[in-house]
Amino acid sequence: MNAELLTKAKSLGFSDRQIGHLTGQTEDAVRAERKKLGLVPSYRLVDTCAAEFEAYTPYYYSTYDRGDDEVKPSDRKKVMILGGGPNRIGQGIEFDYCCVHASFALKADGFETLMVNSNPETVSTDYDTSDRLYFEPLTLEDVLHIYEREKCWGVIAQFGGQTPLNLALSLQKNGVNIIGTSPQSIEIAEDRKLFSAMLHKLKIPQPPNGLATCEAEALAVAAKLSYPLLVRPSFVLGGRAMQIVYDDAELQHYMRFAVEASPERPVLVDQYLEDATEVDVDCIADIGNFYYPNQGTIVIGGILEHIEFAGVHSGDAAMVLPPHTLSERIINTIREYTHAMARELRVVGLMNVQYAVKGETVYVLEVNPRASRTVPFVSKAIGVPLAKLAARVMAGKTLKQLKFTKEVWPQYWAVKESVFPFNRFQGQDIILSPEMRSTGEVMGLDDDLGVAYAKSQMAAGGPLPESGRVFISVSDSHKGEVAEVGRAFAALGFELVATSGTADMLEKAGLKVRRIFKLAEGRPNAVDLLKNREIQIVINTPSGATPHADGVKIRTTAVYTGTPIMTTLSGAKAAALGIAALRRSGYGVKTLQEYH
Amino acid sequence: MPKRTDIHSVLIIGAGPIIIGQACEFDYSGTQACKALKEEGYRVILVNSNPATIMTDPEFADRTYIEPITPECIDKIIAREVEEMKRLKANGKLVLLPTLGGQTALNTAMALFRRGTLDKYSIEMIGANAGAIERGEDRQVFKDLMISIGLDVPLSGTSHNLEEARLVAEKIGRFPLIIRPAFTLGGTGGGIAYNREEFDEMAKRGIELSPVSEILVEESLLGWKEFEMEVMRDRQDNCVVICSIENFDPMGVHTGDSITVAPIQTLTDKEFQIMRDASFAVIRAVGVETGGSNIQFAVNPDNGRMVIIEMNPRVSRSSALASKATGFPIAKIAAKLAVGYLLDEIRNDITRETPASFEPTIDYVVTKVPRFAFEKFPQADPTLNTQMKSVGEAMAIGRTFKESLQKALRSLEIGRYGLGGDGKAWRIGEKVYGDRDILPREVIAPKLSVPNAERIFFLRHALRAGFTIEEIFQLTKIDRWFLTQIKEIVDFEEELAATKN
Repeated sequence: MNAELLTKAKSLGFSDRQIGHLTGQTEDAVRAERKKLGLVPSYRLVDTCAAEFEAYTPYYYSTYDRGDDEVKPSDRKKVMILGGGPNRIGQGIEFDYCCVHASFALKADGFETLMVNSNPETVSTDYDTSDRLYFEPLTLEDVLHIYEREKCWGVIAQFGGQTPLNLALSLQKNGVNIIGTSPQSIEIAEDRKLFSAMLHKLKIPQPPNGLATCEAEALAVAAKLSYPLLVRPSFVLGGRAMQIVYDDAELQHYMRFAVEASPERPVLVDQYLEDATEVDVDCIADIGNFYYPNQGTIVIGGILEHIEFAGVHSGDAAMVLPPHTLSERIINTIREYTHAMARELRVVGLMNVQYAVKGETVYVLEVNPRASRTVPFVSKAIGVPLAKLAARVMAGKTLKQLKFTKEVWPQYWAVKESVFPFNRFQGQDIILSPEMRSTGEVMGLDDDLGVAYAKSQMAAGGPLPESGRVFISVSDSHKGEVAEVGRAFAALGFELVATSGTADMLEKAGLKVRRIFKLAEGRPNAVDLLKNREIQIVINTPSGATPHADGVKIRTTAVYTGTPIMTTLSGAKAAALGIAALRRSGYGVKTLQEYH
Repeated sequence: MPKRTDIHSVLIIGAGPIIIGQACEFDYSGTQACKALKEEGYRVILVNSNPATIMTDPEFADRTYIEPITPECIDKIIAREVEEMKRLKANGKLVLLPTLGGQTALNTAMALFRRGTLDKYSIEMIGANAGAIERGEDRQVFKDLMISIGLDVPLSGTSHNLEEARLVAEKIGRFPLIIRPAFTLGGTGGGIAYNREEFDEMAKRGIELSPVSEILVEESLLGWKEFEMEVMRDRQDNCVVICSIENFDPMGVHTGDSITVAPIQTLTDKEFQIMRDASFAVIRAVGVETGGSNIQFAVNPDNGRMVIIEMNPRVSRSSALASKATGFPIAKIAAKLAVGYLLDEIRNDITRETPASFEPTIDYVVTKVPRFAFEKFPQADPTLNTQMKSVGEAMAIGRTFKESLQKALRSLEIGRYGLGGDGKAWRIGEKVYGDRDILPREVIAPKLSVPNAERIFFLRHALRAGFTIEEIFQLTKIDRWFLTQIKEIVDFEEELAATKN
């Protein structure tokens, strides 16, 4: 290829991928060609003064307006930390937190740290955070250039979420030293076939499942399992296009319109465990730092029990640490499975596991040998900086050396609640699903579980009312349990308001109910009452696969009027517990420094 | 003037959970402030309910409350800390720094002021006092103030109910009209109404969502060019411009949803100087004693009329961007100014030689591109308007706008490696086009005239489909200078493609 043309392409910001595609070559071939020509970027300083004074903080960007490369030489051992790129739903501040911790910890251990990220909102892109900051795109091309220019010793790819993880294998193929859990282990966890084989070997149950690369295969898998099924694409974060389907027609629609399935990217089809309890576990391990697989340490950082049933994305679910309903036996099984998998995957650093507990059986849903979204929450709940420890383990230390070998079981409650952007997306139903849609999270801490939950609701912007009216409308499948919730609210002095179906159930249970019209029956109906602020809290669970238009209207009205709304019965029970606690004793405040 | 010695403890309110319009930029600014104030020897008390923040790591403050950010809860915290300070026999007072935790912190601080908590415990607000916050945040007060100092503002009026709103609409006399609820974050509940029906609906919703039940109804500046200035002031009235930012997308798109470029690219030096002078006049008139503010301007491309749109008397999303774009740590400096330092007394960490009173100069171009998540909300309307909808952003630096734009686009994590030509297909509704396909003009035109998340890519489609720069300008009102730059990228793409085989 013409050197002049290539030079111009680079100065106009074209990536190797674009150049390759436009000129009929591979990205690798373009890169090789460029390197032969010596056509690599220069790194310039962001120095506040257009180079008029000397700059001391190494904050760099690349350019093909070449010459004047300003990278300062250094002989220290360098570790590159790959950030998460722009925030999006599923990949937010939690991963930036982990990257920042990695940098702090390794700086303190004497390494020279390099941060690569393109997100201007973050602490990781503060020039103070790392020894060197590269404000660059997180693509193979851009990262390789920096790695080679700086002659790094190693790269941390497991802290920045899916973005760096997707780069890990190709970086490794290009000679990059990925430290921590090996990309091969990460692949075992992400590749459904390898993963099933591992669980089989370890005798750990998982929900019956299959793979599909096209619609026909999906239907064949469905025929072997039974509906409902949980379907999702491989290699995504945040439950993108993850869905529960209830029949063939829905499955077909999903395969046709919702995903692009291919032999490289098959769709995962799992038996959906209805009404199971979901549990998240974050652990830290140093197994891969030892020669023999039976050596090394694994410590569970936290076991988080979801308040919503399994099937609500773990990024959207409210969680309680430590678990509030699980038996000692179940918790021990969870411990045992977590240890077995961390050892088998020779984990060095962090690992997150999602379990579903149904009856006495613990199923593994997913394993992620990397920093998870819950790491900051768990770290603050137990008072141990897990991400810092993990970074130091990845750089060669053992957990024994770091004196973290025992699980911490807090003597108070920490509740995580998610925050959603529904008020921005008018018309969007707010039902929680396997597709993550929350943008952020809050934490409620207290000695009393009810108060901790109530605080989490206050912090999330939907404070629980201490009295007033509750509107209850649940789907047929939940009508059996509704009496318990109704009784709890009635006992707290709330007036129960319901439409015919739910009202029948409540009355059968001996509760007094004010009946109101369904939207189509007449006025005033639930929407009117909400708009008049005559309802203080809504309990509304969705019915079946396709929610009724009525339900959507009621839920969205609750969002616009700022009325707290619970869309699961477990959420409603937690709310009743919280209200009772607030009415009993109010709430106090306490610093993190006093907790730990 | 040295730092204040009458202060013992500083209470910082964080921004709480990440939501659209208030993301981790406030963790960045809050963390800097905590570090700066601890460095100065103050006892730092922090409240933030978001556990995923760095600022809530126990070592960044002396007292870290992971508790709800509500006036009632902070009232309890203040009462507790006042007791604690007595116990410590603290020599000095407790002050509140409300300007680093976004709109949440500002609103909560104002609520504490209004309910009398601050008076009760004699707590001073540093950085910006209640008067300045009110002047900056109350749209009508702000507009009157601007007019009184001779600056131009859009025609408008405030209203508290639908009848008042309709009267204002009549006075302005033409649609579209902008509705902006007072004291809401990222413009929640605001919008652009093109007809009476939409107007009534938005006005009602805006009044409902505003915590003070107030909206501003405003003359539409759709299609005007939009600019932002990040300015700082110290208590000796020294003012500096840290960064100037130009919005690639004209008025009508929330600045958080707009592609933005620093420094300003399409103004003459004279126009820029007028804007700089106006920025200083604004920060002085509003009376932000110390710290940073963000001031937004609109310029009519036809006649150059410049109006002030709004100002944020606090650290904002744009100031995080400005800090990263220039290397000047606005939040850190704002914290130091708030405790009494002057700009010329604070050293610039980067040069170690120049003081913070030197305005940053940049010899490169910075481009920020928003990241959207409409795929998660298929039932919602994906049109961009004055209510922010993006969930994140990527920034890139290059020596030219073209270089930085393409770098920013490949940073977005949407499978794109630049403006186009990377082999990835285009999905438009139910239809899929190849990467190098020429799209039909009737598919392209509406994607240009109605702002949407993919509009930047449709500029390429339009140019390749034979639209002229003038046609695109008429449809988008994006400045012709930017369009010319994009044309250079697109033309070169053809040149490259021509070498195939």
